Amino acid sequence: MTALALSPDASKTTGHAPGAGWLFRLHRPALYVWIAVVAVLAAGLVWLWGPLTDSSAAAWREYNEFCIKRGSCHYDPDAIVRYKDVYGYTTGALTALPFVVAAWAGAALFGRELEHGTAQLAWTQGLSPARWLATKLIVPTILVTAGTGLLVTLHRLMWSAGDGRIDTAKSWYDNLTLHTNGPTTVAFALTGLAGGALGGVLLRRTMPALTFALTGVAATRFLADQLMPHLWPAVTRVTSLDDGYRSAGLGVDSGLVTATGAHIADPGCGPTSVSSTCKTVYDGLDATGFYTTYHPESHYWPLQLTTTALVVAVATALAVAAFVLLERATATPTRGGTEASV
Amino acid sequence: MTDTAMAATALGKRFGRRGGWALRDCTFRLPAGRVCAVVGPNGAGKSTLLALAAGLLAPSEGRVTVLGTDPASARARVGYVAQDKPLYPQLSVAETLRVGADLNPGRWDAETAERIVSAGDLDPRKKIRALSGGQRTRVALALALGKRPELLLLDEPMADLDPLARHELMGTLMARAAQYGTTIVMSSHVVAELEDSCDHLLLVGGGRVRLAGEIDDLLAAHTRVSTATGSTVPTPMDGSPDGAPGGLPELAPHTVVESRVTGRQLTALVRPAGPLPDDWRTSAPSLEELVLAYLRNPQAAPLTPAEPEEAAV
Repeated sequence: MTALALSPDASKTTGHAPGAGWLFRLHRPALYVWIAVVAVLAAGLVWLWGPLTDSSAAAWREYNEFCIKRGSCHYDPDAIVRYKDVYGYTTGALTALPFVVAAWAGAALFGRELEHGTAQLAWTQGLSPARWLATKLIVPTILVTAGTGLLVTLHRLMWSAGDGRIDTAKSWYDNLTLHTNGPTTVAFALTGLAGGALGGVLLRRTMPALTFALTGVAATRFLADQLMPHLWPAVTRVTSLDDGYRSAGLGVDSGLVTATGAHIADPGCGPTSVSSTCKTVYDGLDATGFYTTYHPESHYWPLQLTTTALVVAVATALAVAAFVLLERATATPTRGGTEASV
Repeated sequence: MTDTAMAATALGKRFGRRGGWALRDCTFRLPAGRVCAVVGPNGAGKSTLLALAAGLLAPSEGRVTVLGTDPASARARVGYVAQDKPLYPQLSVAETLRVGADLNPGRWDAETAERIVSAGDLDPRKKIRALSGGQRTRVALALALGKRPELLLLDEPMADLDPLARHELMGTLMARAAQYGTTIVMSSHVVAELEDSCDHLLLVGGGRVRLAGEIDDLLAAHTRVSTATGSTVPTPMDGSPDGAPGGLPELAPHTVVESRVTGRQLTALVRPAGPLPDDWRTSAPSLEELVLAYLRNPQAAPLTPAEPEEAAV
């Protein structure tokens, strides 16, 4: 099936096949909007990375040094709030980006064209349906990967600059930050693009294709969140009944450890240092401590990369399905057709 | 032997696995260089046939060849204008033509495309979404002709045009057909619209080909006869499917397309199988009469000379 994109039949008769000029002509406004969105978000992230992180970190240092220890201080609460706000907006926008790409691909790039017959118009010009689909997938894939890739890189740099310096900074495993700090966001955006293609080819209507693509991204993100902790071996840490849970990372499982080493469900009483009545509860269960299975920060890249690979595989499957559907619906060159026609 | 512009063998298309057949058992051959009318009522399968030939649909059964190869391989050499003239609404007329140039590298005839557009007093900067139906048709035709097609497929091309523009564009098409030998296939449900300009006919009705061939040959093969019914007891046959050979003994050896008995008067449209009796009054049917007779009588035997007849010529 992958050979489809590599065998544009039009080239046999025209000498050379159409490039991507037509695509830029048709979707120039979308290209400008994309460049503007990436530029604005990148500017926001750079601002956050430099001045806002520094002023917020300074305010926190001031606060921790003087307000807590000496009781009199002049810290800048606005700097802390501004960092938090801009961080929230940019991270939220970057999280939303794959959904925007999905909506655009489903509606404008594929659904509308198939609904209004302009796709068919292109197919009766010098462009085969397979090449039409390939061009419409490859060019936006490059642009979406470049734009989203730049933004997650900046987000990662920005987040690292604030890590450990800003007390209210998001942890690496905060759900939004977890994805905006790495390539999974790029993969989600590509799923949106491929989902838009499949939705368009399958449903041939604007709104249904848009809904299909959005649902696809939402489902992929949900499933990725469910699967991600299991894509890499997690670490299990046991703490005493006094201490309670002590771990910082992406949690997989937690509960009580019994004297035999078995893992059982936590009745939810809490550490014995907080509530002494819990001791009798734990004694009754023969519990000796708490266990947590989790991913420490060192697992960040293995988790990110395996999840990215999985999501990219989903995107590829959607794109291949779109090619197969389109090939079935339209005329394709018969094998050995040139011999038969002689 | 002449080249074939388009040929179908047992071609059929069904929409959906359990849907009805839009076109079935369609066999015909269209020689190159002809202007062919595809005629039939709405929903007869005309659009489906043209979309199959343009490679926009894959056949459910049988096969269609265009310009000696399959529709997908012939894509660059075939022009097609769909019934609703889809164009990119956000582009201007000039930009639309530039997209045509982008999509047909090495083939695009900018001069022809611009001439067709400028003949309609169209401002090239005007957006497609602001055009009238007739202006859209003009731009769609410019796109189709700009790629220098050897075969031009037009689905109800003239429906949105006023008589003057229709005449002018038809003239452009005919000139092109004459100058470059372009084969033109155009569908319509108005027979009169095509009678003057077409030399070949494909009559589609109920998803099947009913008549196919040169219009002159088709007309010559049919005769309108009228005679007294004689001793035969008049049977009610008005347009009924049992007007088949044998229904009326007088018509026995001939293929009856349509027959009607009014009092003692018998009128019929027949394909004579031999000499007709001298006392019968005969006249040549018009194309419209011929088409209507076949459409009114779905059971009449189709006349679709395919390979054998062509070889005999």
